[in-house]
Amino acid sequence: MSRLKLVAGLLLALILVAGVLARAGLTRRWVEDLGLQKTQREELRVWDWWSASTNEEYGDYFNALEAAFEARNPDVDVIFQVVPFGNYVQKLSTAMVGDTPPDVFQSSVYWAEGFHQRGMLRSLNGLLDADPALPGTPAYVGESAFLPSAWRHNHAEDGTIFGIPQIIDASCLLWNLDILQAAAADDDEIRAMFQRDAAGAIDWTCIFWNAVHDWEHFRRLTRKLTVRDENDDVTQAGFLLSASSGAGLFAPWLAANGGRFQDAAGTQALFASARGIETVEFIARLYWVDRVCPPFRRQMTDGEMFKERRAAVVAAGTWSGKDITRDTMGWTHFGKTAFPRGPSGDGPSTVTWGNMLVITRRCDNVDAAWRYVKFVGGLEGSLLRGQYLGYNGPRFDFYATDRWQQALQERPYLSNVKQICLAGDKLRHTEIIAVDHQANPIVESVLLHYPEIVEGRGPYPSVAAAMRTAADNVDNVYRRYNEQVDNWLALRAAGAD
Amino acid sequence: MARRVSWSQRLLPYLYVGPALTVACLFSFVSMGISLWVSFHDYDAFAGASRFVGFDNYHRALYSADSYFWLAMRHTAVYVVLSVCGTLLTSLPLALLCLRAKVGQALFRTLYFLPSITPGVVLALVFYHIFSNYGQLLDCSWTALPALALLGVWAGAGYNMVIFLAGLTEIPQILYDAAVVDGANRWQQFRHITMPMLRNTLVFVTVMTIIGSFQVFTSVYIMTSGGPERSTEVIAYSIFVNAFAVAGQMGYASALAWLLFAVIFVFVFVQMRVFRSRRIYDE
Repeated sequence: MSRLKLVAGLLLALILVAGVLARAGLTRRWVEDLGLQKTQREELRVWDWWSASTNEEYGDYFNALEAAFEARNPDVDVIFQVVPFGNYVQKLSTAMVGDTPPDVFQSSVYWAEGFHQRGMLRSLNGLLDADPALPGTPAYVGESAFLPSAWRHNHAEDGTIFGIPQIIDASCLLWNLDILQAAAADDDEIRAMFQRDAAGAIDWTCIFWNAVHDWEHFRRLTRKLTVRDENDDVTQAGFLLSASSGAGLFAPWLAANGGRFQDAAGTQALFASARGIETVEFIARLYWVDRVCPPFRRQMTDGEMFKERRAAVVAAGTWSGKDITRDTMGWTHFGKTAFPRGPSGDGPSTVTWGNMLVITRRCDNVDAAWRYVKFVGGLEGSLLRGQYLGYNGPRFDFYATDRWQQALQERPYLSNVKQICLAGDKLRHTEIIAVDHQANPIVESVLLHYPEIVEGRGPYPSVAAAMRTAADNVDNVYRRYNEQVDNWLALRAAGAD
Repeated sequence: MARRVSWSQRLLPYLYVGPALTVACLFSFVSMGISLWVSFHDYDAFAGASRFVGFDNYHRALYSADSYFWLAMRHTAVYVVLSVCGTLLTSLPLALLCLRAKVGQALFRTLYFLPSITPGVVLALVFYHIFSNYGQLLDCSWTALPALALLGVWAGAGYNMVIFLAGLTEIPQILYDAAVVDGANRWQQFRHITMPMLRNTLVFVTVMTIIGSFQVFTSVYIMTSGGPERSTEVIAYSIFVNAFAVAGQMGYASALAWLLFAVIFVFVFVQMRVFRSRRIYDE
């Protein structure tokens, strides 16, 4: 019996090892080349960080997407793989080296530029030029089909297109309309934020996308909406600030003040300008002078406090909505605005970005991959994301559909997202993680120690000095990154020779 | 007459240890060698390409204005001191108490050992919520690092307690009996018998705690991401960020890793020389 067990165990171990080898990276191709693993359909491996484990609606979306795409393309078998956002770059580099890269993946704007400059992405210019779909049709995925703010991060300065947008996001201010409506009972200024219907009556479900005129207006509003208890502790925040958000919090306000975080080529940090310093000081004064925020807490997120109805307004995104409704058991009475014009700005603004689908250079099934990208980037894909995920689409024609109009009826908080997305500047896009690692702690220090800095006894002699230090460090990041880009280009040129 | 050993019999032990040794060498020494090579290059994992830069990465880590190596080492050193002190002040008393327990000694050993076998990510997430509800220790740059050290001490207390227990049980009872006869009180027994006899165990626990503490990463990554205001940016986290979050800085990250190795090596070498194992008593 023991010999039988030994033989059975050895056999099982051999089968397991053989199975692993047969499916693993390099050996998988050998097995396929041997013809031992023949599939009826072309496999298309698609990576994404959207996961049913974080939100079951993603599972529904991918199921519907797969069913719809494969119904039209019966020769393609789409295989989705979830890769956590935080591990994306590492997993992709490992996959590229291990010869198991995906065919298509959703790329954040955080990485897209870097992937393109490394030569990992296939240029889509030829595929677009050869695409039979005509501009203005639902299947067309060229530039004219998309909102301009969605078509900023997906191409290089030389015109190389490496991605097709599948979503459009923008930072925005999220307002609790329950609080606003209650405050509007005896405040004309707050009442004026709400839209009016055709009859002239106030529509309490919608506010204007540019309801806040400027920063002084914002300060007044948030002060009015702040409630304190007998101990002078903030029980209802006029505005929520998270000191650890760093550049993520700072960037949309900077855009509204007419400033830029970086130059277009990703060679220079621009946020330490007079507009940038003005922006940081405005944010710091909201906390320390206007006192519209509760004490800084790293562990409590803005979103959590907003869902608990303890904040009148938070900085959030145009994607915020369906998760709030789900987590609050159906609450939809909130609205979105752009960031108000700063003293040096031209009008309400924000930062926008469009995460995209890309095809890897090592994709063997380029035709299948392109058909998938076109489907997801086309109108039908946008409508699927709208239906299952509550996302507004990056395409112009999306906003003319009955489904979008129906969504507006069901969820009035979506009413301003298009205008907000159109008003935004391009989100910073070069080595964002490395830049945040350098800049965020300094911005955090400024926010946490603003009074001491002003009095000359803080960790930095002044706000300007702190921002200059952050900008110098970020410039070093850009310098090293661009040296790497030159190396990559030289390598590719040498390889081509 | 001595029995002659054939060459095959001499070879057999090496064949037995060969596979394990090969794997160990592959995943440790070979990896370390590659890392050392990378540290002298400007290496990009994506491109798989490198450019020899000599000691530039090391120079940058030690002297560059935007290098956080010294800051990270300072924080790491503070963490190590807190961890070592905390470990010795908790594990040894726990072991002494456990030894004295007449009932349930095995139960206490198991309970105190449980954190050691719990994944670090789980511990970090649990303590993240504990600290957020009690004291907000992670919100302040003064308390964040001690809070992480508290987690580290709590997580490692049981493991070190078991090691101390093993050391304590090795102390001959006859020494205590003789001390009692000579009129020594508990403190005198502890000071003149227990501590000297535990010397080797103490050195071992201290050295292992130092090595482990120098490499603290999980709690920082999960709970603070190096904040607030870089107050918890430790060297392992800095290595991780530079290796995987920044393009083409694998060489710099490798240089940081080898600088960390050098520091740990010096620490351990000095300790082992100063406190080297010696026979405590004659047989």
